Amino acid sequence: MNHAKHIELAGVRKKFRFFTLENLDLDLEAGQIMGLVGPNGAGKSTTIRLITGLLAADAGTVRVLGHGMPEAQALAKRDIGFVSDEMKLFSHATVGWHMDFVASIYAGWDPQYAATLVKRFNLKPEQPVKGLSHGEHVKALLMLALARRPRLLILDEPTSGLDPVARHELLTEFTDVLRDDSRSILFSSHNTLDVERISDRITFIDRGRLVESRDKEDFLERWRRIQLQMPAGSALPELPDIIGRAVDGQFVTLTTNRFSADMLTHLGTAVREVHRMSLEEIFVANVMHHREARGE
Amino acid sequence: MNTLTRRLIAKEFFQHRWMIASSTLAGVASLLVSAGPGIRYAIGSLLFITAFVSFGVVLAMISIATERKERMLQFVLSLPVSYADYVRIKVWSLLACYAGPWLVMSGGAVALVLATSHLPDGLTPFVVLLSGFMIANFSLVLSGALLARTEGVIVLLIIVTNMFVSLFLFLVSSLPGIAAFKDGAVPHWNATFWAVLAVELAVLVASCLAPYFIAARRRDFV
Repeated sequence: MNHAKHIELAGVRKKFRFFTLENLDLDLEAGQIMGLVGPNGAGKSTTIRLITGLLAADAGTVRVLGHGMPEAQALAKRDIGFVSDEMKLFSHATVGWHMDFVASIYAGWDPQYAATLVKRFNLKPEQPVKGLSHGEHVKALLMLALARRPRLLILDEPTSGLDPVARHELLTEFTDVLRDDSRSILFSSHNTLDVERISDRITFIDRGRLVESRDKEDFLERWRRIQLQMPAGSALPELPDIIGRAVDGQFVTLTTNRFSADMLTHLGTAVREVHRMSLEEIFVANVMHHREARGE
Repeated sequence: MNTLTRRLIAKEFFQHRWMIASSTLAGVASLLVSAGPGIRYAIGSLLFITAFVSFGVVLAMISIATERKERMLQFVLSLPVSYADYVRIKVWSLLACYAGPWLVMSGGAVALVLATSHLPDGLTPFVVLLSGFMIANFSLVLSGALLARTEGVIVLLIIVTNMFVSLFLFLVSSLPGIAAFKDGAVPHWNATFWAVLAVELAVLVASCLAPYFIAARRRDFV
């Protein structure tokens, strides 16, 4: 596998009047799918705009495919396929016109793959863009981005507003892109189910700060909810790495982000159940823990 | 000129083809109306100026403000192009889109003055200056629309540049070097004419170059 970094953000800061993205460090290697997860207004789109050169950082460095951004954006974007749910095609033209337009710009345009995608997404080249539904519009944008065979695919909330079938089709397509391990995907969403399904690396972002970034399996292995039944009058043993506890009579639920078998040994017979957490549960617990730690 | 630049320029012509054709047609039709004497000339002239001005405003608005408002700009900026490239391409492609109808309307207006017996040939310098004003005014709208960040600024820009039309007609036609000769039998290409033309040219050049310098310093594009 080629381990060259496709995205490198170091100490990035971007200040707006009512929002600041602070000290963001982020790496994406070739062959990876990174899910960028955060609540609305967390800074996902700002991060993506910095990566695509649409915004310039106030501090820090942004490098994409080896190019400094935004200075070398024209060069970098030759190998980037970028789709955002806020992006629109030219309403006066047809899907086919856009295919010809993009094909004439990108040397890597794959007409056979484009035709396959058109069929798979049930698009009609002769259809005017202004007549497309939201789902069809997103599919057309993705078809145009995928068929140019970019080394880096950047998707900002691409599945937002799509029905489950359309989401399934798109997510399947994204994983197909990664069959070539020199390619990578950065995928932002607040839908953790989508992210959990296709990402192999996950970055949580909240209120302009990076909360945590690591491999998906790492998250899923390290986070647990442990249910205890404490004998009357006994105290909960002191444990490190417990980031949340909920007490209901003699029942206690602990949340840990560094689960290990030793932890269960330490808790002894009080342990009733150990639950794996979904990505959504991990995300919420993680964000709440970090907000608490920052006194927010 | 690279392929992307060529394609984006072609895109503008494709997108605005009907507007270019219909504005040219409207301009020519209004000139034909104004070929008649009296009230026909007055109505035709008014229609001609309206067609000329509104074509420029609508062209800039649809191509720049609407593209931004309807988020097509994000698609353009996802292509291998910098914002400075985008600005350069917009300025030249829209000037090119405007130039065709402008040439037809300007040429038609001069021809009308020279060919029509009820219009004195002395009016020709004023008509040439009016044509120069139209393209300079369009470049101002174009430049302003590229630089404006909000819809309010663009609306203000349209109002101000429309006011310039009335100001131009009143002020330039009152200049002694123009007023004294416009009813004459022969055109007078005097110093006043050249001075006004030089100002129009300066506005045109400055308006076309300003977005380059400002866009090059701008750091956020959407």
